[in-house]
Amino acid sequence: MAAVWGSVGQKVLSSAFSLGSKGLLKHGGSSYFINQHRGAAKWWPDAEWMKQFDGPTMVPYEGQNMEMTTWNSRLAHVEKKVRNVTINFGPQHPAAHGVLRLVLELEGETVVRADPHIGLLHRGTEKLIEYKTYTQALPYFDRLDYVSMMCNEQAYSLAVEKLLGVEAPIRAKYIRTMFGEVTRILNHCMFLGAHAMDVGALTPFLWLFEEREKMMEFYERASGARLHAAYVRPGGVAIDIPIGLMDDIYEFSSKFGERLDEVEDVLTHNRIWKQRTIDIGTVTAQEALNYGFSGVMLRGSGIKWDLRKTQPYDAYDLVDFDVPVGKNGDTYDRYLIRVYEMRESLRIIEQCLNQMPEGEVRVDDAKVTPPRRSEMKTSMEALIHHFKVFTQGYQVPPGATYTAIEAPKGEFGVYLVSDGSSKPYRCKIKAPGFAHLAGTDMVGKNHMLADIVAIIGTLDIVFGEVDR
Amino acid sequence: MATYFGLDKFVKLFRILRNHGGIRASLYQLYRVDDLKDGVLVGEDVHGNKYYENPNLTLGRNRWVIYSPSVGTDYDGSMIPAEWFGWMHHKTDLPPTEIAPTAYAWQSGHEENTTGTDRAFMPYTTTKPKIEAWVPPKKL
Amino acid sequence: MAAVRLFSLGRNGVPMLRSCVGSASMTQTRSNYKYVSPEEPSMEWGDISDRAAATVFWTEMFRGAAVTLGHIFKEPATINYPFEKGPLSPRFRGEHALRRYPSGEERCIACKLCEAICPAQAITIEAEEREDGARRTTRYDIDMTKCIYCGFCQEACPVDAIVEGPNFEYSTETHEELLYNKEKLLSNGDKWEPEIAANLQADHLYR
Repeated sequence: MAAVWGSVGQKVLSSAFSLGSKGLLKHGGSSYFINQHRGAAKWWPDAEWMKQFDGPTMVPYEGQNMEMTTWNSRLAHVEKKVRNVTINFGPQHPAAHGVLRLVLELEGETVVRADPHIGLLHRGTEKLIEYKTYTQALPYFDRLDYVSMMCNEQAYSLAVEKLLGVEAPIRAKYIRTMFGEVTRILNHCMFLGAHAMDVGALTPFLWLFEEREKMMEFYERASGARLHAAYVRPGGVAIDIPIGLMDDIYEFSSKFGERLDEVEDVLTHNRIWKQRTIDIGTVTAQEALNYGFSGVMLRGSGIKWDLRKTQPYDAYDLVDFDVPVGKNGDTYDRYLIRVYEMRESLRIIEQCLNQMPEGEVRVDDAKVTPPRRSEMKTSMEALIHHFKVFTQGYQVPPGATYTAIEAPKGEFGVYLVSDGSSKPYRCKIKAPGFAHLAGTDMVGKNHMLADIVAIIGTLDIVFGEVDR
Repeated sequence: MATYFGLDKFVKLFRILRNHGGIRASLYQLYRVDDLKDGVLVGEDVHGNKYYENPNLTLGRNRWVIYSPSVGTDYDGSMIPAEWFGWMHHKTDLPPTEIAPTAYAWQSGHEENTTGTDRAFMPYTTTKPKIEAWVPPKKL
Repeated sequence: MAAVRLFSLGRNGVPMLRSCVGSASMTQTRSNYKYVSPEEPSMEWGDISDRAAATVFWTEMFRGAAVTLGHIFKEPATINYPFEKGPLSPRFRGEHALRRYPSGEERCIACKLCEAICPAQAITIEAEEREDGARRTTRYDIDMTKCIYCGFCQEACPVDAIVEGPNFEYSTETHEELLYNKEKLLSNGDKWEPEIAANLQADHLYR
């Protein structure tokens, strides 16, 4: 039936065409070919189209089926299985901040589910520490959050000191505080540069890395390594800071504010930056608390919480500083907080420089800290202590402590259990980045794909501490 | 007046060209070092590397080395000997020409990083083998 | 001239004023928490037109671009390695070296403190009695690919034998070239002694 009608239709159409070409235009045929509308999308009546003329028509031809089809005889369309696109963001993506693998479920360009996969940088630090003496465990902490090295060491050292019941000398406390704040600037420089670059502003990255270079030189002059310092030790710091370093840190801190102003000139009021950050990755105060956020992620949502204020450690109760708090809990607020924190860090550094007391930098306990080299070479007892410290280490009285500090990324805590031997029985590391990464789904849901990059930037994740 | 119109820059350019030994030599220097700088020769080490200084430039750029012409463009950062290392890395302001470094008889001369050459270091054991192979007794 | 003076007054006056305010506010009790979120935009006509003008004329964009442009005229931060080198301090922890006494006798007495303290267990030492009865190492291997450059070995060494020298340009093409043995470490010491001695001299007051 359909075939018949199809042939009829084609005949009609072809006759019309031939009529047009012969009757109206002499050379219609050639003009059809030279016409730039090549008819590639031209529609011809096809079998499917002709199907609608099945059944009774006004002028039936001979032998046409005059039976009415029932109204509900048509089959419903077969439902196709539609699934959202799932993409892998990372672990090779340059904006994934290391080895983050984020499985994103997209609906169009909107993220409906973000599933972070971790473990690509797992080194078993916590287990390894159980087999190292308290001294040997220290370098592992540098490598946790590898952009804020000394803060991690500080947390561990404070935990061990708490178990030992010793307290670092006041000069060591000031040095730790000063370097803690240098580290904070170091970390926030990295955050800001990488975050801005993720969003599309390359220039601040280059400027801030120049400043990072200077700060890593301070690290190098104090400890001998630009990143993995192993400088803050249980019972003080490894070695006193060299002459002239404080002058240079002052020189740096007096000029860094200007560099920060330049970065702010480029970013803070920039409309692109604002469009990319305001109301992106908003975290309410309740969500922030429920997800165990800490640090800037918490303060961005308007919760006034800073461990440096609420439970001051080292010399933070001796210096005066403000803690910035946000209101909206979005990416822009957190950016502003981090920039302000850098300025406050400069204030703390300057106060530390001004108040820096004289004296020893290691606790006066031969069982915990190795003796000075001159003493070790002249005194038999000191030499014995030296050997004892470097082979067996020191015994820590049995007990457990959870010691947390306000690391640049948030609350970095060390839960240390001692069984009275010279090696930790258990060392659990509470990394702020872990909780923040766990909130990726909550924060990133219903954002555009491009905003996920900004959100990862603002979470300030470093995989050394997330994977441990 | 000359400073006002920037003519001293030309004077400086000609001085730099002259110090580098003419236009041809300057172009070679530019090809090899990517930089033409005005500086004072501080010293020369045993390998023929020349050390220059210009305190008017910023820290990090104010001291530089021109590697010995004998190495051509095959220069390497590890060619700086230990005596000049501290000065080159801004550790001290006193070059070995002013303050003599230690010179013990057992000190060896400097050697550049030999990786990739046939002089590259290959590890070997420094101990006697712990296990000695059993040698079957000869039949008498 | 007067304008210049006014300008300089304006520039210097503000920090002066700020320091006055700062010292006064020190006496007040403060919560120490400071809101940094942007304020709600004011809805005065003047402010609205200001904002509209800023949007239309791209003022903040030009400001940022001008700051960026200004950096073209600044001294570059980069250095021309390997012709110029970045600053290092005497405490720098680089390639290991075994030192000798001025007489030429090797310092290491095989006390194995460095082996004991090494967190990465990169050091292997075997010791034997020498012909003259002195205790010396027969094997002193450092796996430089295991080493984490924490500096504990040089802190532990009671005779300043093992040190982390200043050299950092020892990258190799193959792995086994970094498995240093005693001869290599001693030759490093012979090579770098002037610099190592200078570093120890520079740092001796602190150690």
